[in-house]
Amino acid sequence: MKWLAWGTVLLVLAVLAIMPFFVSNYIVSFAIQIFMWIALAGSWNLISGLTGYVSFGHVAFFGTGAYTTAILVSKAEWHWLPASLMGSVTAPLLAFIIGYPCLRLKGPYFAIAMLGLNEVLRALVSYFEDFTGGGNGISLPPIAELPPVYYAMGGAALGVVVLTYRIITSRFGLRLISIREDELAAEAMGIDTARLKLYAFLLSAAFPGIVGGFFAWYSSHIEPIGTFPLLTTITMIIMCLFGGKGTVFGPALGAFLLSIFQEMVWARFLFIHQAIFGALIVAVVLLMPKGILGVLQERYRLPRTI
Amino acid sequence: MENILELRDVTKRFGGVTAVNRCSLGLAPGKIYGLIGPNGSGKTTLFNCITGLEACEEGQIRFRGERIDGLKPHQVTRRRIGRTFQVIRIFPELTALENLLVVTWLPFDGAQRRARELLELVTLDRLQDEYAGNLSYGQQKLLEFARVLMTDPDLVLLDEPAAGVNRTLLNELLQTIRNLRAQGKTIFIVEHDMKVIMDLSEKIFVLNYGEKIAEGPPEMIRTDERVIEAYFGRS
Repeated sequence: MKWLAWGTVLLVLAVLAIMPFFVSNYIVSFAIQIFMWIALAGSWNLISGLTGYVSFGHVAFFGTGAYTTAILVSKAEWHWLPASLMGSVTAPLLAFIIGYPCLRLKGPYFAIAMLGLNEVLRALVSYFEDFTGGGNGISLPPIAELPPVYYAMGGAALGVVVLTYRIITSRFGLRLISIREDELAAEAMGIDTARLKLYAFLLSAAFPGIVGGFFAWYSSHIEPIGTFPLLTTITMIIMCLFGGKGTVFGPALGAFLLSIFQEMVWARFLFIHQAIFGALIVAVVLLMPKGILGVLQERYRLPRTI
Repeated sequence: MENILELRDVTKRFGGVTAVNRCSLGLAPGKIYGLIGPNGSGKTTLFNCITGLEACEEGQIRFRGERIDGLKPHQVTRRRIGRTFQVIRIFPELTALENLLVVTWLPFDGAQRRARELLELVTLDRLQDEYAGNLSYGQQKLLEFARVLMTDPDLVLLDEPAAGVNRTLLNELLQTIRNLRAQGKTIFIVEHDMKVIMDLSEKIFVLNYGEKIAEGPPEMIRTDERVIEAYFGRS
Protein backbone atom coordinates (compact mmCIF):
# COMPACT_ATOMS: atom_id res chain seq x y z
CA MET A 1 0.00 0.00 0.00
CA LYS A 2 2.83 2.33 0.96
CA TRP A 3 4.69 1.48 -2.27
CA LEU A 4 1.56 2.18 -4.27
CA ALA A 5 1.24 5.60 -2.66
CA TRP A 6 4.89 6.48 -3.25
CA GLY A 7 4.68 5.10 -6.82
CA THR A 8 1.69 7.36 -7.51
CA VAL A 9 3.54 10.39 -6.10
CA LEU A 10 6.60 9.68 -8.26
CA LEU A 11 4.45 9.18 -11.35
CA VAL A 12 2.66 12.51 -10.76
CA LEU A 13 6.00 14.26 -10.27
CA ALA A 14 7.39 12.70 -13.49
CA VAL A 15 4.33 13.82 -15.46
CA LEU A 16 4.59 17.34 -14.02
CA ALA A 17 8.31 17.45 -14.83
CA ILE A 18 7.79 16.83 -18.57
CA MET A 19 4.44 18.62 -18.86
CA PRO A 20 5.74 22.03 -20.08
CA PHE A 21 7.12 20.40 -23.25
CA PHE A 22 3.76 18.97 -24.30
CA VAL A 23 1.07 21.47 -23.33
CA SER A 24 0.10 25.02 -24.29
CA ASN A 25 1.41 28.14 -22.53
CA TYR A 26 -2.08 28.62 -21.06
CA ILE A 27 -1.86 25.29 -19.23
CA VAL A 28 1.71 26.04 -18.08
CA SER A 29 0.57 29.45 -16.75
CA PHE A 30 -2.36 27.83 -15.00
CA ALA A 31 -0.05 25.22 -13.44
CA ILE A 32 2.24 28.03 -12.22
CA GLN A 33 -0.75 29.58 -10.44
CA ILE A 34 -1.76 26.26 -8.90
CA PHE A 35 1.82 25.72 -7.65
CA MET A 36 1.80 29.22 -6.20
CA TRP A 37 -1.43 28.55 -4.32
CA ILE A 38 -0.17 25.18 -3.08
CA ALA A 39 2.92 26.90 -1.63
CA LEU A 40 0.87 29.73 -0.10
CA ALA A 41 -1.90 27.56 1.38
CA GLY A 42 0.71 25.07 2.64
CA SER A 43 2.68 27.87 4.29
CA TRP A 44 -0.42 29.23 6.00
CA ASN A 45 -1.10 25.69 7.22
CA LEU A 46 2.27 25.61 9.02
CA ILE A 47 1.29 28.33 11.45
CA SER A 48 -2.50 28.37 11.42
CA GLY A 49 -3.33 24.74 10.65
CA LEU A 50 -0.84 23.33 13.13
CA THR A 51 -0.82 25.84 16.00
CA GLY A 52 -4.33 27.26 15.53
CA TYR A 53 -3.05 30.86 15.33
CA VAL A 54 -5.05 32.26 12.42
CA SER A 55 -2.98 34.66 10.33
CA PHE A 56 -4.96 37.16 8.27
CA GLY A 57 -1.82 38.88 7.05
CA HIS A 58 0.15 36.17 5.28
CA VAL A 59 0.03 38.09 2.02
CA ALA A 60 2.40 40.56 3.72
CA PHE A 61 5.18 37.96 3.42
CA PHE A 62 4.24 37.30 -0.19
CA GLY A 63 4.40 41.05 -0.89
CA THR A 64 7.70 41.37 0.97
CA GLY A 65 9.21 38.67 -1.25
CA ALA A 66 7.78 40.29 -4.37
CA TYR A 67 9.24 43.69 -3.53
CA THR A 68 12.57 42.19 -2.44
CA THR A 69 12.91 40.52 -5.82
CA ALA A 70 11.67 43.49 -7.83
CA ILE A 71 14.09 45.87 -6.08
CA LEU A 72 17.07 43.52 -6.33
CA VAL A 73 16.40 42.81 -10.01
CA SER A 74 15.59 46.37 -11.10
CA LYS A 75 18.03 48.33 -8.94
CA ALA A 76 20.88 45.90 -8.19
CA GLU A 77 20.56 43.87 -11.41
CA TRP A 78 20.38 40.51 -9.65
CA HIS A 79 19.25 37.39 -11.50
CA TRP A 80 15.60 36.69 -10.67
CA LEU A 81 16.25 33.31 -9.06
CA PRO A 82 18.67 34.34 -6.27
CA ALA A 83 16.68 37.57 -5.88
CA SER A 84 13.54 35.48 -5.26
CA LEU A 85 15.36 33.22 -2.82
CA MET A 86 16.26 36.35 -0.84
CA GLY A 87 12.53 36.49 -0.04
CA SER A 88 13.17 33.54 2.28
CA VAL A 89 15.36 35.91 4.31
CA THR A 90 13.39 39.16 4.21
CA ALA A 91 9.94 37.63 4.83
CA PRO A 92 11.04 35.61 7.91
CA LEU A 93 12.85 38.72 9.16
CA LEU A 94 9.57 40.61 8.98
CA ALA A 95 7.86 37.60 10.59
CA PHE A 96 10.34 37.73 13.46
CA ILE A 97 9.78 41.46 14.02
CA ILE A 98 5.99 41.13 14.02
CA GLY A 99 5.73 37.60 15.42
CA TYR A 100 7.81 38.13 18.54
CA PRO A 101 5.30 40.54 20.12
CA CYS A 102 2.13 39.45 18.31
CA LEU A 103 2.33 35.70 18.94
CA ARG A 104 1.74 36.49 22.62
CA LEU A 105 -1.74 37.63 21.61
CA LYS A 106 -4.44 35.00 21.79
CA GLY A 107 -7.38 34.21 19.53
CA PRO A 108 -8.78 37.00 17.35
CA TYR A 109 -6.24 39.59 18.55
CA PHE A 110 -3.42 37.87 16.67
CA ALA A 111 -5.57 37.67 13.53
CA ILE A 112 -6.38 41.38 13.74
CA ALA A 113 -2.74 42.34 14.40
CA MET A 114 -1.73 40.40 11.27
CA LEU A 115 -4.42 42.14 9.26
CA GLY A 116 -2.98 45.44 10.43
CA LEU A 117 0.52 44.39 9.34
CA ASN A 118 -0.69 43.92 5.79
CA GLU A 119 -2.24 47.40 5.67
CA VAL A 120 0.87 49.00 7.21
CA LEU A 121 3.13 47.37 4.63
CA ARG A 122 0.92 48.45 1.76
CA ALA A 123 0.99 52.05 3.05
CA LEU A 124 4.77 51.97 3.54
CA VAL A 125 5.38 50.61 0.07
CA SER A 126 3.19 53.36 -1.38
CA TYR A 127 4.94 56.03 0.68
CA PHE A 128 8.60 55.26 -0.08
CA GLU A 129 8.23 56.13 -3.73
CA ASP A 130 11.92 56.47 -4.60
CA PHE A 131 12.64 52.96 -3.44
CA THR A 132 9.48 51.05 -4.32
CA GLY A 133 8.00 53.08 -7.14
CA GLY A 134 5.08 54.11 -4.90
CA GLY A 135 1.63 53.60 -6.38
CA ASN A 136 3.09 53.08 -9.85
CA GLY A 137 5.02 50.04 -8.65
CA ILE A 138 8.08 48.48 -10.26
CA SER A 139 8.30 47.08 -13.76
CA LEU A 140 10.58 44.20 -14.60
CA PRO A 141 11.65 42.85 -18.00
CA PRO A 142 8.98 40.57 -19.51
CA ILE A 143 9.84 36.90 -19.17
CA ALA A 144 11.05 35.19 -22.31
CA GLU A 145 9.84 31.70 -21.45
CA LEU A 146 7.56 30.08 -18.88
CA PRO A 147 9.28 26.76 -17.99
CA PRO A 148 11.94 28.26 -15.63
CA VAL A 149 9.21 29.92 -13.56
CA TYR A 150 7.13 26.74 -13.80
CA TYR A 151 9.94 24.63 -12.32
CA ALA A 152 10.82 27.25 -9.71
CA MET A 153 7.20 27.57 -8.55
CA GLY A 154 6.76 23.77 -8.69
CA GLY A 155 9.88 23.37 -6.57
CA ALA A 156 8.49 25.80 -3.99
CA ALA A 157 5.17 23.90 -3.87
CA LEU A 158 6.99 20.59 -3.48
CA GLY A 159 9.24 22.14 -0.83
CA VAL A 160 6.27 23.23 1.28
CA VAL A 161 4.64 19.78 1.09
CA VAL A 162 7.90 18.00 2.02
CA LEU A 163 8.53 20.46 4.86
CA THR A 164 5.00 19.95 6.17
CA TYR A 165 5.47 16.16 6.04
CA ARG A 166 8.75 16.43 7.94
CA ILE A 167 7.20 18.68 10.58
CA ILE A 168 4.02 16.65 11.08
CA THR A 169 6.00 13.42 11.51
CA SER A 170 8.32 15.00 14.08
CA ARG A 171 7.92 15.80 17.77
CA PHE A 172 8.21 19.47 16.83
CA GLY A 173 5.01 18.98 14.81
CA LEU A 174 3.27 17.19 17.68
CA ARG A 175 4.20 20.07 19.96
CA LEU A 176 2.76 22.57 17.49
CA ILE A 177 -0.48 20.56 17.43
CA SER A 178 -0.50 20.46 21.23
CA ILE A 179 -0.45 24.28 21.19
CA ARG A 180 -3.53 24.21 18.97
CA GLU A 181 -5.24 21.68 21.22
CA ASP A 182 -4.55 23.34 24.58
CA GLU A 183 -1.79 25.91 24.80
CA LEU A 184 -1.98 26.28 28.57
CA ALA A 185 -1.64 22.53 29.10
CA ALA A 186 1.24 22.40 26.63
CA GLU A 187 3.02 25.17 28.53
CA ALA A 188 2.34 23.40 31.84
CA MET A 189 3.87 20.21 30.41
CA GLY A 190 7.20 21.94 29.78
CA ILE A 191 6.69 23.01 26.17
CA ASP A 192 8.11 26.46 25.39
CA THR A 193 5.08 27.49 23.37
CA ALA A 194 6.26 31.04 22.63
CA ARG A 195 9.48 29.80 21.04
CA LEU A 196 7.82 27.03 19.02
CA LYS A 197 5.11 29.35 17.70
CA LEU A 198 7.81 31.74 16.56
CA TYR A 199 9.72 28.95 14.77
CA ALA A 200 6.54 27.85 13.01
CA PHE A 201 5.77 31.43 12.07
CA LEU A 202 9.24 31.98 10.59
CA LEU A 203 8.97 28.78 8.56
CA SER A 204 5.50 29.73 7.38
CA ALA A 205 6.80 33.12 6.18
CA ALA A 206 9.76 31.77 4.19
CA PHE A 207 7.92 30.16 1.27
CA PRO A 208 5.48 33.05 0.66
CA GLY A 209 8.61 35.23 0.49
CA ILE A 210 10.13 33.04 -2.21
CA VAL A 211 6.87 32.58 -4.10
CA GLY A 212 6.25 36.33 -3.99
CA GLY A 213 9.58 36.77 -5.75
CA PHE A 214 8.68 34.24 -8.45
CA PHE A 215 5.34 35.98 -8.86
CA ALA A 216 6.99 39.39 -9.30
CA TRP A 217 9.25 38.01 -12.03
CA TYR A 218 6.41 36.08 -13.66
CA SER A 219 4.01 39.03 -13.77
CA SER A 220 6.74 41.57 -14.80
CA HIS A 221 5.09 44.33 -12.82
CA ILE A 222 4.09 44.79 -9.20
CA GLU A 223 2.29 47.59 -7.40
CA PRO A 224 0.98 47.91 -3.80
CA ILE A 225 -2.72 47.18 -4.33
CA GLY A 226 -2.17 44.10 -6.50
CA THR A 227 0.65 42.75 -4.31
CA PHE A 228 -0.96 43.05 -0.88
CA PRO A 229 -4.64 42.20 -1.45
CA LEU A 230 -6.47 40.74 1.55
CA LEU A 231 -8.16 38.39 -0.93
CA THR A 232 -4.86 36.54 -1.39
CA THR A 233 -4.75 35.68 2.32
CA ILE A 234 -8.43 34.72 2.33
CA THR A 235 -7.89 32.49 -0.69
CA MET A 236 -5.02 30.63 1.02
CA ILE A 237 -7.14 30.18 4.12
CA ILE A 238 -10.08 28.80 2.15
CA MET A 239 -7.86 26.45 0.14
CA CYS A 240 -6.29 25.13 3.33
CA LEU A 241 -9.63 24.73 5.11
CA PHE A 242 -11.22 23.10 2.04
CA GLY A 243 -8.45 20.51 1.67
CA GLY A 244 -7.95 19.95 5.40
CA LYS A 245 -5.98 22.14 7.79
CA GLY A 246 -3.27 20.48 9.83
CA THR A 247 -2.78 17.74 7.21
CA VAL A 248 0.15 17.27 4.79
CA PHE A 249 -1.66 17.16 1.47
CA GLY A 250 -4.87 19.02 2.41
CA PRO A 251 -3.69 22.50 1.41
CA ALA A 252 -2.34 21.15 -1.90
CA LEU A 253 -5.62 19.36 -2.61
CA GLY A 254 -7.61 22.47 -1.69
CA ALA A 255 -5.40 24.68 -3.86
CA PHE A 256 -5.71 22.31 -6.81
CA LEU A 257 -9.50 21.86 -6.64
CA LEU A 258 -10.35 25.49 -5.87
CA SER A 259 -8.00 26.84 -8.55
CA ILE A 260 -9.83 24.73 -11.12
CA PHE A 261 -13.19 25.76 -9.63
CA GLN A 262 -12.21 29.44 -9.71
CA GLU A 263 -11.02 29.21 -13.30
CA MET A 264 -14.27 27.58 -14.40
CA VAL A 265 -16.49 29.99 -12.48
CA TRP A 266 -14.51 33.06 -13.52
CA ALA A 267 -14.85 32.16 -17.17
CA ARG A 268 -18.58 31.42 -17.02
CA PHE A 269 -19.86 33.95 -14.46
CA LEU A 270 -17.71 37.01 -14.97
CA PHE A 271 -19.74 39.36 -12.78
CA ILE A 272 -20.72 37.11 -9.89
CA HIS A 273 -17.76 34.78 -9.59
CA GLN A 274 -16.65 36.39 -6.33
CA ALA A 275 -20.15 35.96 -4.86
CA ILE A 276 -20.02 32.27 -5.78
CA PHE A 277 -16.59 31.96 -4.18
CA GLY A 278 -17.93 33.68 -1.06
CA ALA A 279 -20.85 31.26 -0.90
CA LEU A 280 -18.38 28.40 -1.12
CA ILE A 281 -16.45 29.83 1.84
CA VAL A 282 -19.63 29.87 3.95
CA ALA A 283 -20.51 26.32 2.85
CA VAL A 284 -17.04 24.97 3.72
CA VAL A 285 -17.02 26.57 7.17
CA LEU A 286 -20.54 25.38 7.98
CA LEU A 287 -20.59 21.92 6.45
CA MET A 288 -16.99 20.75 6.44
CA PRO A 289 -14.88 22.64 8.98
CA LYS A 290 -12.21 19.93 8.94
CA GLY A 291 -11.93 19.92 5.15
CA ILE A 292 -11.88 16.97 2.74
CA LEU A 293 -8.87 15.16 4.19
CA GLY A 294 -9.89 16.03 7.75
CA VAL A 295 -13.24 14.31 7.20
CA LEU A 296 -11.62 11.29 5.51
CA GLN A 297 -9.05 11.09 8.29
CA GLU A 298 -11.76 11.00 10.93
CA ARG A 299 -14.12 8.65 9.10
CA TYR A 300 -11.57 6.09 7.90
CA ARG A 301 -8.97 6.59 10.65
CA LEU A 302 -6.34 7.58 8.13
CA PRO A 303 -2.90 8.57 9.47
CA ARG A 304 -1.97 12.17 10.19
CA THR A 305 0.45 12.06 7.27
CA ILE A 306 -2.20 12.27 4.53
CA MET B 1 15.70 17.24 56.00
CA GLU B 2 15.46 20.34 53.81
CA ASN B 3 12.06 20.93 52.25
CA ILE B 4 11.77 20.30 48.52
CA LEU B 5 9.08 22.99 48.20
CA GLU B 6 8.79 26.02 50.42
CA LEU B 7 6.06 28.66 50.20
CA ARG B 8 6.44 31.84 52.24
CA ASP B 9 3.57 34.34 52.61
CA VAL B 10 2.27 33.66 49.10
CA THR B 11 -0.58 35.98 48.17
CA LYS B 12 -2.68 36.05 45.01
CA ARG B 13 -5.50 38.50 44.33
CA PHE B 14 -8.04 38.66 41.51
CA GLY B 15 -9.28 42.24 41.56
CA GLY B 16 -10.76 42.74 45.02
CA VAL B 17 -10.80 39.02 45.85
CA THR B 18 -7.82 37.58 47.71
CA ALA B 19 -7.72 34.00 46.47
CA VAL B 20 -4.60 33.03 48.43
CA ASN B 21 -3.70 35.05 51.52
CA ARG B 22 -0.19 34.94 53.05
CA CYS B 23 0.04 31.19 52.68
CA SER B 24 3.18 29.49 53.98
CA LEU B 25 3.91 25.78 53.87
CA GLY B 26 6.75 23.36 53.32
CA LEU B 27 6.91 19.90 51.74
CA ALA B 28 9.64 17.44 52.67
CA PRO B 29 10.85 15.14 49.89
CA GLY B 30 9.42 11.66 49.42
CA LYS B 31 6.10 12.19 51.20
CA ILE B 32 2.45 12.50 50.25
CA TYR B 33 0.70 15.73 51.21
CA GLY B 34 -2.95 16.68 50.95
CA LEU B 35 -4.50 20.09 50.37
CA ILE B 36 -8.15 20.43 51.27
CA GLY B 37 -10.69 23.17 51.79
CA PRO B 38 -14.22 24.13 50.80
CA ASN B 39 -15.00 25.22 47.22
CA GLY B 40 -13.32 28.52 46.38
CA SER B 41 -10.81 28.25 49.20
CA GLY B 42 -7.85 28.81 46.83
CA LYS B 43 -6.49 25.27 46.39
CA THR B 44 -6.25 25.31 42.59
CA THR B 45 -5.01 28.93 42.63
CA LEU B 46 -2.21 27.84 44.96
CA PHE B 47 -1.30 25.05 42.52
CA ASN B 48 -1.37 27.58 39.69
CA CYS B 49 0.99 29.86 41.61
CA ILE B 50 3.43 27.01 42.25
CA THR B 51 3.43 25.94 38.60
CA GLY B 52 3.72 29.46 37.18
CA LEU B 53 0.27 29.62 35.61
CA GLU B 54 -0.58 32.47 37.95
CA ALA B 55 1.90 35.06 39.16
CA CYS B 56 1.68 35.62 42.91
CA GLU B 57 1.71 39.25 44.02
CA GLU B 58 3.57 38.73 47.28
CA GLY B 59 5.67 36.05 48.88
CA GLN B 60 8.22 33.56 47.69
CA ILE B 61 8.09 30.05 46.27
CA ARG B 62 11.27 28.01 46.44
CA PHE B 63 11.91 24.59 44.91
CA ARG B 64 15.07 22.86 46.14
CA GLY B 65 16.12 26.23 47.51
CA GLU B 66 15.76 28.06 44.17
CA ARG B 67 13.12 30.74 43.74
CA ILE B 68 10.62 29.70 41.09
CA ASP B 69 7.97 32.38 41.49
CA GLY B 70 8.12 34.55 38.38
CA LEU B 71 9.22 31.67 36.14
CA LYS B 72 7.13 30.69 33.14
CA PRO B 73 5.16 27.44 33.43
CA HIS B 74 7.45 25.50 31.08
CA GLN B 75 10.48 26.64 33.08
CA VAL B 76 8.86 25.41 36.29
CA THR B 77 8.04 22.05 34.66
CA ARG B 78 11.62 21.62 33.46
CA ARG B 79 12.76 21.95 37.07
CA ARG B 80 10.83 18.68 37.51
CA ILE B 81 7.53 19.85 38.91
CA GLY B 82 4.57 18.21 37.18
CA ARG B 83 0.85 18.71 37.56
CA THR B 84 -2.57 17.54 36.49
CA PHE B 85 -5.63 19.75 36.23
CA GLN B 86 -8.97 19.87 37.99
CA VAL B 87 -10.70 20.00 34.60
CA ILE B 88 -8.97 17.54 32.26
CA ARG B 89 -6.61 19.18 29.79
CA ILE B 90 -5.42 16.46 27.43
CA PHE B 91 -4.68 17.01 23.72
CA PRO B 92 -7.84 15.50 22.16
CA GLU B 93 -6.61 15.30 18.55
CA LEU B 94 -3.41 13.51 19.50
CA THR B 95 -3.48 9.77 20.21
CA ALA B 96 -2.97 8.51 23.75
CA LEU B 97 0.63 7.59 22.87
CA GLU B 98 1.31 10.97 21.24
CA ASN B 99 -0.08 12.75 24.32
CA LEU B 100 2.85 11.25 26.20
CA LEU B 101 5.50 11.55 23.49
CA VAL B 102 4.86 15.25 23.05
CA VAL B 103 5.93 16.18 26.58
CA THR B 104 9.25 14.35 26.82
CA TRP B 105 12.78 15.21 25.72
CA LEU B 106 13.98 11.61 25.80
CA PRO B 107 15.42 10.21 22.55
CA PHE B 108 12.65 8.81 20.34
CA ASP B 109 13.14 5.08 21.03
CA GLY B 110 13.47 5.59 24.77
CA ALA B 111 10.46 7.88 24.75
CA GLN B 112 8.32 5.28 22.95
CA ARG B 113 9.33 2.61 25.43
CA ARG B 114 8.65 4.81 28.46
CA ALA B 115 5.31 6.01 27.06
CA ARG B 116 4.16 2.42 26.51
CA GLU B 117 5.20 1.47 30.04
CA LEU B 118 3.20 4.34 31.50
CA LEU B 119 0.15 3.56 29.37
CA GLU B 120 0.35 -0.01 30.65
CA LEU B 121 0.62 1.31 34.20
CA VAL B 122 -2.68 3.18 33.83
CA THR B 123 -4.24 0.29 31.82
CA LEU B 124 -4.52 2.30 28.62
CA ASP B 125 -1.94 0.32 26.61
CA ARG B 126 -4.58 -1.19 24.33
CA LEU B 127 -5.86 2.29 23.51
CA GLN B 128 -2.48 3.82 22.66
CA ASP B 129 -3.46 4.63 19.07
CA GLU B 130 -6.90 5.98 19.95
CA TYR B 131 -7.42 9.73 19.78
CA ALA B 132 -7.44 11.05 23.33
CA GLY B 133 -10.68 12.91 22.66
CA ASN B 134 -12.43 9.56 22.08
CA LEU B 135 -11.52 8.17 25.52
CA SER B 136 -14.00 8.17 28.42
CA TYR B 137 -13.72 10.78 31.17
CA GLY B 138 -12.05 8.36 33.57
CA GLN B 139 -9.61 7.18 30.90
CA GLN B 140 -8.72 10.78 30.05
CA LYS B 141 -8.05 11.39 33.72
CA LEU B 142 -5.68 8.40 33.77
CA LEU B 143 -4.03 9.57 30.56
CA GLU B 144 -3.40 12.98 32.11
CA PHE B 145 -1.88 11.22 35.11
CA ALA B 146 0.40 9.17 32.84
CA ARG B 147 1.34 12.31 30.91
CA VAL B 148 2.55 14.10 34.01
CA LEU B 149 4.67 11.07 34.92
CA MET B 150 6.18 11.18 31.44
CA THR B 151 7.85 14.48 32.40
CA ASP B 152 9.58 12.54 35.22
CA PRO B 153 8.80 15.07 37.96
CA ASP B 154 10.26 15.01 41.46
CA LEU B 155 7.24 16.90 42.77
CA VAL B 156 3.82 15.86 41.44
CA LEU B 157 0.80 18.11 41.98
CA LEU B 158 -2.46 16.23 41.45
CA ASP B 159 -5.65 18.30 41.26
CA GLU B 160 -8.55 16.00 42.12
CA PRO B 161 -7.12 12.80 40.61
CA ALA B 162 -9.97 10.62 41.90
CA ALA B 163 -12.85 12.61 40.37
CA GLY B 164 -14.69 10.57 37.73
CA VAL B 165 -12.49 7.47 38.06
CA ASN B 166 -14.33 4.22 38.86
CA ARG B 167 -13.53 2.31 42.08
CA THR B 168 -11.42 -0.43 40.47
CA LEU B 169 -9.29 2.04 38.55
CA LEU B 170 -9.15 4.34 41.56
CA ASN B 171 -7.58 1.64 43.72
CA GLU B 172 -4.93 1.10 41.05
CA LEU B 173 -4.39 4.84 40.80
CA LEU B 174 -3.93 5.16 44.56
CA GLN B 175 -1.47 2.25 44.55
CA THR B 176 0.46 3.97 41.74
CA ILE B 177 0.63 7.15 43.81
CA ARG B 178 2.01 5.15 46.75
CA ASN B 179 4.55 3.54 44.40
CA LEU B 180 5.69 6.98 43.28
CA ARG B 181 6.24 7.93 46.89
CA ALA B 182 8.28 4.75 47.34
CA GLN B 183 10.44 5.90 44.42
CA GLY B 184 11.22 9.08 46.36
CA LYS B 185 8.82 11.42 44.62
CA THR B 186 6.90 14.03 46.55
CA ILE B 187 3.14 14.13 45.95
CA PHE B 188 0.83 17.06 46.68
CA ILE B 189 -2.84 16.29 46.19
CA VAL B 190 -5.98 18.40 46.09
CA GLU B 191 -8.97 16.10 46.54
CA HIS B 192 -12.59 16.41 47.63
CA ASP B 193 -12.94 12.70 48.38
CA MET B 194 -12.09 12.77 52.11
CA LYS B 195 -11.54 9.02 52.33
CA VAL B 196 -8.94 9.17 49.56
CA ILE B 197 -7.11 12.14 51.03
CA MET B 198 -7.16 10.80 54.60
CA ASP B 199 -5.92 7.36 53.50
CA LEU B 200 -3.14 8.67 51.29
CA SER B 201 -1.73 11.75 52.96
CA GLU B 202 0.92 11.86 55.62
CA LYS B 203 0.20 15.50 56.26
CA ILE B 204 -2.70 17.70 55.26
CA PHE B 205 -2.95 21.45 54.78
CA VAL B 206 -6.37 23.11 55.02
CA LEU B 207 -7.28 26.33 53.24
CA ASN B 208 -10.31 28.50 53.88
CA TYR B 209 -10.92 31.79 52.06
CA GLY B 210 -7.33 31.63 50.84
CA GLU B 211 -5.81 31.33 54.29
CA LYS B 212 -4.14 28.26 55.72
CA ILE B 213 -6.19 27.43 58.81
CA ALA B 214 -4.65 24.10 59.80
CA GLU B 215 -1.92 21.61 58.99
CA GLY B 216 -1.08 18.24 60.44
CA PRO B 217 -1.52 14.49 60.11
CA PRO B 218 -4.95 13.22 58.97
CA GLU B 219 -6.09 12.09 62.42
CA MET B 220 -5.47 15.59 63.77
CA ILE B 221 -7.14 17.36 60.86
CA ARG B 222 -10.21 15.11 61.21
CA THR B 223 -10.92 16.49 64.68
CA ASP B 224 -9.68 20.06 64.23
CA GLU B 225 -12.39 22.54 65.27
CA ARG B 226 -11.43 25.16 62.66
CA VAL B 227 -11.59 22.57 59.88
CA ILE B 228 -14.97 21.26 60.98
CA GLU B 229 -16.25 24.82 61.17
CA ALA B 230 -14.90 25.66 57.70
CA TYR B 231 -16.65 22.65 56.16
CA PHE B 232 -19.89 22.55 58.15
CA GLY B 233 -20.21 26.05 59.62
CA ARG B 234 -20.62 27.03 63.24
CA SER B 235 -23.37 25.06 65.04
